[in-house]
Amino acid sequence: MNAPATHPAALPLRLAGVGKEYRVYDSPRARLKALLTGRALHRSHWALQDVSLELARGQCLGVVGHNGAGKSTLLKLICGTLQPTTGQIERSGRVTAILELGAGFHPDFTGRQNLYFGGSLIGITHEQMAVLEPEVLAFAEIGEAIDRPVKTYSSGMTVRLAFALVTALEPDLLIIDEALAVGDQHFQKKCIERIQSFRDHGCTILFCSHSPYHVRHLCDVALWLDHGRMMEFGSTEAVLGAYEKHSRLLGGERAETAAAPLPYERGPDSALILSCDIADLGDGDPPTLHSPDLVATITVRGKGAERPNIGFMIEQERGVGITSLATHEEDAAPTEVEPGVWRSTLTFPDLPLHSGDYVISVFLFDETGLVTYDLWFQFKVIRIVSPTLMPGLVRLPHHWS
Amino acid sequence: MVFRALITECRQLWRLRGLLAVLARRELGARTAGSAGGWLWVWLPPLLTIAAYYLLFDVVFGMRLGAGAPTARVGTYLVVGMLAWQAFADATQRGMGSLLDAGSLLHKNPLPPGLFPARAVLASGVVFAPLLLALLPLYMGAHQWRAGVWAVLPLLVLQALLSFLLAYLLAILAAALRDVAQGVQVLLSLGVFLSPVLFPLTLFPERWRWLLWLNPMTAPVLGYQSALLQGAWPPLAVWLALLAWIGVLAALLSLALARSRDQLVDWL
Repeated sequence: MNAPATHPAALPLRLAGVGKEYRVYDSPRARLKALLTGRALHRSHWALQDVSLELARGQCLGVVGHNGAGKSTLLKLICGTLQPTTGQIERSGRVTAILELGAGFHPDFTGRQNLYFGGSLIGITHEQMAVLEPEVLAFAEIGEAIDRPVKTYSSGMTVRLAFALVTALEPDLLIIDEALAVGDQHFQKKCIERIQSFRDHGCTILFCSHSPYHVRHLCDVALWLDHGRMMEFGSTEAVLGAYEKHSRLLGGERAETAAAPLPYERGPDSALILSCDIADLGDGDPPTLHSPDLVATITVRGKGAERPNIGFMIEQERGVGITSLATHEEDAAPTEVEPGVWRSTLTFPDLPLHSGDYVISVFLFDETGLVTYDLWFQFKVIRIVSPTLMPGLVRLPHHWS
Repeated sequence: MVFRALITECRQLWRLRGLLAVLARRELGARTAGSAGGWLWVWLPPLLTIAAYYLLFDVVFGMRLGAGAPTARVGTYLVVGMLAWQAFADATQRGMGSLLDAGSLLHKNPLPPGLFPARAVLASGVVFAPLLLALLPLYMGAHQWRAGVWAVLPLLVLQALLSFLLAYLLAILAAALRDVAQGVQVLLSLGVFLSPVLFPLTLFPERWRWLLWLNPMTAPVLGYQSALLQGAWPPLAVWLALLAWIGVLAALLSLALARSRDQLVDWL
């Protein structure tokens, strides 16, 4: 399967029939016995089978799939940390992987010592690092702590230094495994801006995520993996549509919508959701909406002078999405009601939902809509009583003739 | 070809020799990180061993070995074999655990696994090789710079190669089954008695003497004793035994590499 608009001469990544078999042994003793005797004493688990794709320069591929689908195995194969059992992987140019940031740092060594050592592991020589160092330190915002042992760093500082290190040289192929949310809000934004700038310069990106929201916003092609097999590969919207439909059909298994629950920053200067008031809600559990209109007033605190964006999602009781809306998607910027505090009022006139319980989530994004500053995920359930007795979920705009 | 997997690995190590040096420096640095004594703590234990043997056996007790020994002085004799043995045991133990220790690095970075046992052997070499070479002038009275004394240099290189092959092979086996590490530690504790480190070869009963050749360090220890204590070039049997051990270990390692190629990182 080929991504659209590829040119064979400029392919930074080509996978042909790639498969990865994990050999599962009943015990470590059986593993040693197999190693010593050469006999096959294992059961095979194929984490990936027959994956073929090509990516052109500048393309961004989002890899989606449930846990155990083979996403991480695929990324590790492309990084080169795992070897494929079948098939071939061709890479060209510099490959950078943002996996577990800071995992190789030695706590007793200083940030600077770890920086040079970490650089040597990813092919940056001492001389190159000496040239890159001022820029890396400026980006990581470590200051004088660079000469202190890493064990004295906060987790945020470690991650900032590690991100600045791995992205010190612009790659031809960038591999990101769920690592967009690193450090505090300010640094997350810098990370995403750096990744965007790589992309603008023609870097090919592979992005593995549980967040269809981010895949939609960053990627122009997507790959859906399920039990190690390619289910769909092509334009993002088509693949995500099929993936989300499949997730819903699984019933009990909740579609992993929007941002995964991450530890959102709640400091005194953090951007966060302050309130979400829904008008005309009565008593009861869940409270009933006593109005034909659904009016939600969302108040947030932004990040400095930046104008934030607000998202709103309604789902069915079991977490199946009905609608997701965001101010940046509709050029409906929030209004600043006092310095740093922004408000949007979202109105659904004559709400066309049938009777039932519905779950509300609210999102706070940065100016670009890529960084999720805060999330009140499924924070409120409301009951809607519709006059119609007909079965269904939503009354679609229609006319009879 | 038997050695294909090993040759591929060695080529990668040669290509990444700069990184290997960085890794070895870091391993030594990590051993002393945070201490005021620094490198002193790396060299102090073997230096104390040398000093203790010399003072105790040669100065205090003045013990002497019988006829057939390469030297009469017990302390002088022990220092040579014990330094070589300590270097071997240190490299083997650290190299054997190196893959397990480097598991997280190997999961995140596309590096050849052989870098890590090689790093351990190189770091041990940096500690022990200067000490063994320092014996050259100290033992001048015994060897008087006869030509045979320079056999120490090829012996050091061959011992490093022997240690690397054994450590890497054991590291793969330990990755497959963790108990290997415990078993090898027991063997290393016993091995020193099944070698000419503590007693001259001639003191072992003749009909059991062949057992000593099952110890990979018997040949190098005899070689060092010959060069440093007598200034004589080690006999052909020493070189042949050493090369045979290297050949066997290289073949076994190559086989283990070929069999574990796709899975080694998964085991860590």
